[in-house]
Amino acid sequence: MMASLETEILRFLNEPSEDKFEPLALAVFEYQRRQNPVYASYCEFLGTPQQVGSWKSIPSVPQQAFKRSELRSFAIEQTRAEFRTSGTTGEGYGKHFFQSLRLYEAAVQRSWDFFRLPRHNFVALMQHPDDAPFSSLCRMGGFLADFKRECFFITRNGCLELDRLKDRLTDRGKPLTLFGTALAFLNLMEQAPNLRVELRPGSIAMETGGFKGSGRDIGKRELYDRLFGQFGITTDSVWNEYGMTELSSQFYSYGLNRPHRSPPWMKFLIIDPNTNEEAPPGEVGLLRIFDLANLWSVLAIQTRDLAIAQPEGGFLLLGRDPGALPRGCSRAVDQLLQLIRD
Amino acid sequence: MTGMKLDDRIGAVASAAVDYPWLGDLRAENILRWVALELGELLREAEPAEYGRQHCFAQPLTPILHVVGGNTPHAALQSLIRGIIVGARNRMKLPQGGLPEVDEFSLRLPSALRPELAVQLDPGWAQDAEAVVVYGSDETVREFSQRLLPAQRLLAHGHKISFGLIWGSLEQGLVDGAARDVFVFDQLGCLSPQFYYVAGDSEGFASLLARRLEELCLATPVTRRGQEIAAALRGCREEWKFRAATEPGIVVWESAGTLDWVVIHDPAAVPAANPLHRTIFVKPMPSELGSALAPIRHQISTVGLHPVSLESVRQAIRLGAQRVCRIGQMQNPPLTWHHDGWPTLASLVRYVDIEGLG
Repeated sequence: MMASLETEILRFLNEPSEDKFEPLALAVFEYQRRQNPVYASYCEFLGTPQQVGSWKSIPSVPQQAFKRSELRSFAIEQTRAEFRTSGTTGEGYGKHFFQSLRLYEAAVQRSWDFFRLPRHNFVALMQHPDDAPFSSLCRMGGFLADFKRECFFITRNGCLELDRLKDRLTDRGKPLTLFGTALAFLNLMEQAPNLRVELRPGSIAMETGGFKGSGRDIGKRELYDRLFGQFGITTDSVWNEYGMTELSSQFYSYGLNRPHRSPPWMKFLIIDPNTNEEAPPGEVGLLRIFDLANLWSVLAIQTRDLAIAQPEGGFLLLGRDPGALPRGCSRAVDQLLQLIRD
Repeated sequence: MTGMKLDDRIGAVASAAVDYPWLGDLRAENILRWVALELGELLREAEPAEYGRQHCFAQPLTPILHVVGGNTPHAALQSLIRGIIVGARNRMKLPQGGLPEVDEFSLRLPSALRPELAVQLDPGWAQDAEAVVVYGSDETVREFSQRLLPAQRLLAHGHKISFGLIWGSLEQGLVDGAARDVFVFDQLGCLSPQFYYVAGDSEGFASLLARRLEELCLATPVTRRGQEIAAALRGCREEWKFRAATEPGIVVWESAGTLDWVVIHDPAAVPAANPLHRTIFVKPMPSELGSALAPIRHQISTVGLHPVSLESVRQAIRLGAQRVCRIGQMQNPPLTWHHDGWPTLASLVRYVDIEGLG
């Protein structure tokens, strides 16, 4: 039964069809409520009926729930992978369990297809997934770089392999795809302030994560300007990936002040925090995410991130709510690098 | 120096404060008693007062720079009034959104006593100040402390946490007082309780507290909250509801359809992060109170007690309390209280000792 639901979602990822989103989402909800006792308790607590009429009515769990409970929609002994949040908040780390990574991999690959992102000549400013087995970001990089160790430029101990990276960046044969956390890019630019490279046209940078909690901060515009200044990557060739360990898919945007968009198997709602209902169009609210690829945990996640829906689709991310504690893989990598430098 | 005599300054403050009952009883005779208690006759300008074998004057540290946060106008006005009473010239750096109550209060003062107010800090103000009073986060305090010279006096009121300890019967008066302490100033003051430890039926107390908060909010509706505050409150509330659904002993009572108030019964001994705005935790009294509160020992401000007895007072002092009072009075310190453990007027003067005057 479950293999078939996974197969159906995989089929959707490969051949998305708008009219199939809702029935699939409802099937995933029913499955998760049946198989995931923690989620079932939560639905019961909320008084959610056994069947809901729309994907919008599927109960979302707060993102922090992954820190408190094991939200597993399969038997524990079938666990094949576990990703962890950075755990830098003092609250412990969140855990996301998978029975299989087929959907996760497909979501990564099909998203990059959907947004027509190049993944040739991959330069991953992160550890190889074998060196960071609990990092969802590193696993994502692994899928995109076909797990080739030479594509990864941060060692197991968190050191940036600067000389090897410089060689790679200055080999002007082909366009490159640079992928890393915003803080990893910042660390690179700080460690090699005089490095100036004109990357081949067609090169892109994909940055993810913020700076909150790191003790360092530069604005997105400054980061993008510096990427242009040092590597010749124009602002519109810098992409941002908005994701989280608790999800299996990601949102993407490029350039500055452009909305984040999702692949077809994700949807979102903007929630008015005052009422906990969907906010009127154009209003700022909390981002609630529905990800079909999150079959093995929970489909719907309520974040603490503030956003505003855009008339043309997607949302503008406004930042984290002031009460939220700092978190993120970005900070984990930064801390690693900072520790090494210190 | 303002050029006005002490009695005139006191009269001016008392007159301006008439319409601000939440500042406490600022009638002239009360202020006079407060001055006498902290400084005796030392602040009188007429002649030096005898002080042991010498004579002594108390001179105001002037000008005073007050750096205030946006939480409540209460602390800002208290600080300003203290500065006026000692006779200092006052400058106040307001939060970005301003504090209209401070503007209004200032206009009620004679021009000689009016503070200079600004949202943007003039760098010269910190340089000139003989005393700097800072209300705010530890980061704000640290930032100002780095700007000052050792000769400048820094009075830092960093973030504080207040709470209540409840033993004995849960009578209605106690519940009313506990709810009022949470309700006043939208729980944003440093004297606002963030949690209550209850010996006995903690869940029953939480339920009664929830009912009383609901009644208070019906009588005085809360205006719709800004999206950022609302987001913090919603995030906290949904997280605790999830925990209530999945962890034993956690119960959440909340205002229906609004963010007016929430009561969270949490069996864990250690205090939880609190976004305030009438978010109150109720916890069973831990067997090891000192260990439970160790992480916040240096931030403790007021401890509300029920009942107030020598035993409970000693307990609160051992925990690190700066102020101990009856539950229901947490937001009403007397004029003469020692804010964060210091005398509020005597901290704003320097003593001039005069020997050989005869």
